[in-house]
Amino acid sequence: MVFQATYTLTDLRVLLRETAPRHEFSPDQKAEIQRLLENLERQVASLKQEMLR
Amino acid sequence: MRCGMGIEARQVNELFINIDPIQAGGKLTADAMKAVIAYGDGYSVCDNCRKPNRLDYISKPPIAAFHKDLADWLNMDAVRTVPGARRGFQAVAQTYVGKGDPVLLTSLSHYTEFLAVEESGGIAREIPADERKMITADAAAEKIEDIRRETGKVPVLAFIDHVDYQYGNMHDIRAIAKVTQQYDIPILYNGAYTVGILPVDGKTLGVDFVVGSGHKSMAAPAPSGVLAATAERAAEVFRTTSIVGDVTNRKFGIKEPEMMGCTLMGATLVGMMASFPHVKERVKHFDRELENNRRVVDALLSIGGTQLLSEYPRKHTMTRVDTTGSFDTVAETHKKRGYYLSSALEEKGITGVIPGATKVWKFNTYGTTRVQAGYLADAFTAIARENGLSVKE
Repeated sequence: MVFQATYTLTDLRVLLRETAPRHEFSPDQKAEIQRLLENLERQVASLKQEMLR
Repeated sequence: MRCGMGIEARQVNELFINIDPIQAGGKLTADAMKAVIAYGDGYSVCDNCRKPNRLDYISKPPIAAFHKDLADWLNMDAVRTVPGARRGFQAVAQTYVGKGDPVLLTSLSHYTEFLAVEESGGIAREIPADERKMITADAAAEKIEDIRRETGKVPVLAFIDHVDYQYGNMHDIRAIAKVTQQYDIPILYNGAYTVGILPVDGKTLGVDFVVGSGHKSMAAPAPSGVLAATAERAAEVFRTTSIVGDVTNRKFGIKEPEMMGCTLMGATLVGMMASFPHVKERVKHFDRELENNRRVVDALLSIGGTQLLSEYPRKHTMTRVDTTGSFDTVAETHKKRGYYLSSALEEKGITGVIPGATKVWKFNTYGTTRVQAGYLADAFTAIARENGLSVKE
């Protein structure tokens, strides 16, 4: 799960690179960001559950 | 934000469009970044190293398969990964060049090719570029004949850059290879700016060696590179060790002296491997990269007094311009002097032009999106207008 969350952040990082310097996201990119952030929230929740139990 | 004592987290490519001529093709893919995270530990790729205990035989992660795929992709018979293109030059020079041997380079060759020749005791003999800054087959033949007349022997090796680092010009290496073949001179194709950027077919080009740079053109971490060879030359440059210890009687299996045993380990190798499928795909779309480059070049040429020093139309995205007649005229009176241009670019989120350069400089648009290329073109003309330079509509 640590890797999954880190890799989700990496995908977000790449989106920042592809849109530098203005970071104006297209509708498709916004949808992708939404999906990635939701995944990240789930992954962080799982980490909390596993590491703090 | 820091990632270690005194080490700022680098966000250059997240915050800026980076047109540094040597950095554009080495930006990591997402998969390479992920691989680097997982394989950062020193000997991380060696967990499953089994007999015969050599890097290119490891099957998990699939390093052995990667070597085969890489050789096939370059249409060569054998390949090794090396810590940078320069280590490929070094291995080949050490194999073929002896003290006093003439070696064919060009007037546009990279300095590391010279150093490889020097280290082997060879003599650098440069094929001169013509007035267009091109290396031709005729000039290569003439130089070989000159050397033969002077020394009674022909060069023992030729290093030819397909695309040179100074102008980003593409030289007819296939024609040059036909000449070197006539003299039985092994020829090394320096693909530091091409392998991973555009299609490269070693056997069709007629070369003995193909060298590429992972960190320059294959979206891989530094230092990384590739050295590929034909079967005949592989037996020579990738020969295995025969040394024996006189006390211990030890031998060292199939380790290769020119590779100093195993070469790339850990993050550099898996980074290159993770990017490889993307690299194989992106070389098929180099036309898009040239189109993005054309937009930026056209914008620069629309600024009165700007000259293109690279060949035109462009065949590569690394490009050299002379703005002595445009941006440099502003530097004479600007309060930031020559630093105004890089400063103005940075304010617009563009980096990679040498700070202070307003006369002759290079840039590389490789890897920019269409939107970013348009932004770059607009930024150059906007800076020109803001500083009173004429811009053709």
